[in-house]
Amino acid sequence: MVEKKRNPKLESFIITMKIFLRDPGAVFGLVVVMIYILIALIDEFDPGLIGLTDVNSLMPNYYNPSPLPPSSQHIFGTTFPGIDLFQGILKAIRLDIGITFFVVGIGAISGILLGLVSGYFGKWIDEIIMRTTDIFFSIPFLVLAIAIAFFMGRTILIISFALIIIWWPTYARVVRGQVLYIKELAYIEAARASATKNHKIIFKHILPNTLAPIFVQFSMDLASVALIFATLSFLGFVPTLGGSSSASSGGYIPELGYLSSIGYSYAVVGDWWTIVFPGFALLLFALSMNLVGDGLRDALDPRFRR
Amino acid sequence: MKLSTYVIRRILILIPTLIGLTIIVFLLTRAGGTNMIIGPYLNPRLSAQQQLIEKQQLIKQFHLNDPVWVQYFYYMWALVQGNWGLTKTAIYTGPVTTAIALFMPNTIQLAIVAYVIAMFIAIPSGTASAVRKNSFVDQFTRFIAFVGISLPVFWLAQILAEAFATPTISPSLNIFPLGGTVDANLLVGQSWYNQYLGISYPTHIMMIDALIHGDIPVFISAVRHVILPAATLAFTSIAGIMRYMRSSMMETLNQDYVRTARSKGVPEKIVIKKHARKNALIPVVTVSGLLFAGLLGGVVVIEEIFNYPGMGYWTYWAMMGLDSGGIMGSTIVFGLILVSANFVVDILYAVIDPRIRLGE
Repeated sequence: MVEKKRNPKLESFIITMKIFLRDPGAVFGLVVVMIYILIALIDEFDPGLIGLTDVNSLMPNYYNPSPLPPSSQHIFGTTFPGIDLFQGILKAIRLDIGITFFVVGIGAISGILLGLVSGYFGKWIDEIIMRTTDIFFSIPFLVLAIAIAFFMGRTILIISFALIIIWWPTYARVVRGQVLYIKELAYIEAARASATKNHKIIFKHILPNTLAPIFVQFSMDLASVALIFATLSFLGFVPTLGGSSSASSGGYIPELGYLSSIGYSYAVVGDWWTIVFPGFALLLFALSMNLVGDGLRDALDPRFRR
Repeated sequence: MKLSTYVIRRILILIPTLIGLTIIVFLLTRAGGTNMIIGPYLNPRLSAQQQLIEKQQLIKQFHLNDPVWVQYFYYMWALVQGNWGLTKTAIYTGPVTTAIALFMPNTIQLAIVAYVIAMFIAIPSGTASAVRKNSFVDQFTRFIAFVGISLPVFWLAQILAEAFATPTISPSLNIFPLGGTVDANLLVGQSWYNQYLGISYPTHIMMIDALIHGDIPVFISAVRHVILPAATLAFTSIAGIMRYMRSSMMETLNQDYVRTARSKGVPEKIVIKKHARKNALIPVVTVSGLLFAGLLGGVVVIEEIFNYPGMGYWTYWAMMGLDSGGIMGSTIVFGLILVSANFVVDILYAVIDPRIRLGE
């Protein structure tokens, strides 16, 4: 008989997956998120596959502008001016998901780096970084995002920048807390005693052990960033896209919050579908992401491992 | 550490935060460029040449050619003196401080009603899910909490407006009117209500002013107008408060004195209501204020959708009208609210739980 080689990392991963897959909510969330990502990727690389033509434009139809109820031709109905909601939502998912992943990704990386530095070196560096996070936490997220986008411009880059500025402090704090605990442990002391370089201790010995809470935070933040981004465009910070297609679309950018905002004046006179579907698409994504985050928290928490 | 020492320390930490807050807002206004700062002061009726002269004067007046840190000093000096600049929006034109004084009270009314609604829903459901852990009630409230943090605020507001205020969709549910803080038709010719701004006098809080003037129909109308926006605002923070209540309650139920109460035969209902819940509530009440203040930014969306003349409504119109004074003022005010909520919660916590100040 061949002795099976034990791989602790792989075993740990399998246990995590098992616990994660035991939670029906988390599995549901994961499947939905996968579908959203798939739609976004199809939009980006081969929109013809799901029957879309111009993914940067909502393709208004000025010959028939008033909203039409859901029918076999337009399964989610249309919104002003003659925009097919189903296609609009499929296109909007690309921008919403793309921006969300971009913002949380960059925010997490910069937050993690600053948190590692802050927690590991302590003293005045820690003091400066943590007081800075205090300052960013002292303004409600939405208000700060509005102020940044208002003063710096309404391009897609500035809006992403505004959201990154808001999101890095959370990661910095989470990581710092972890580092403060880990750096007192014996194995770090051993690494230090054997004259291991600081950057090696930080990235090889500390960072991997801070990742569990980061993953949880990351998935929850994907939900909140998607919501705030949509809220900003609902309020009128509609990001402008480059390229000729957006100019020819007359400013109708595929974005879920924006789709919801153009439908509102029709919804209050009875055309309920103009707001129900775009908002629901957003709710479904955020809910799934939160369920995934919750499942991850349980799966990565050693207390649940039996 | 004595409580007074702790309070003084906490105040000292407050100072860099406040300075940082003003630095952020200051840098943002400067990032917007010269035109954004002096725009509201320019007189559009002047000729192009006169405007150029006026522009130069304004640049001098605001010290815009000085180094940035000097500009910050002048900026802070003006803030401290209460000179927050001008706001020019479609709904109000005048000094920023006056705008805040006019619009803030309505937001306070909205926030208080929303907070009460949130607590009334979050506390019982949080208690129930802690007492019956993993039961159907627990799972259900957990699901609702998830939906609560995943709901786009603007969408919830739209759906509620559609469901309860749109006669063509739901005639039987059409009980909460949309728009403003009160039915303006009830107040035609009343000197204590400004029809144009939608704001009442003297306190600017509609419900209180109605009572001061003894006008019961107006009061009822004001209550009906505040319910929908307040429910929307409440829903955003219910999830957080509920979860916090659940964990606090579970912790309390494991305490020795609860076991003692149970073992001496106190009925379970009384153990939960009198012994456990009272103690579990203390941290929840303190922290919920902070949770709530953090989500107060949602009023920008909510007040816009319900046309409710408060801080958020003003911020929205400032945003639409490229009014830098309004955005600056409201950012500082929302920041101050959050900072003071944080401060008060920290102090209250230290009063309740002496371990916090001893641990320092």
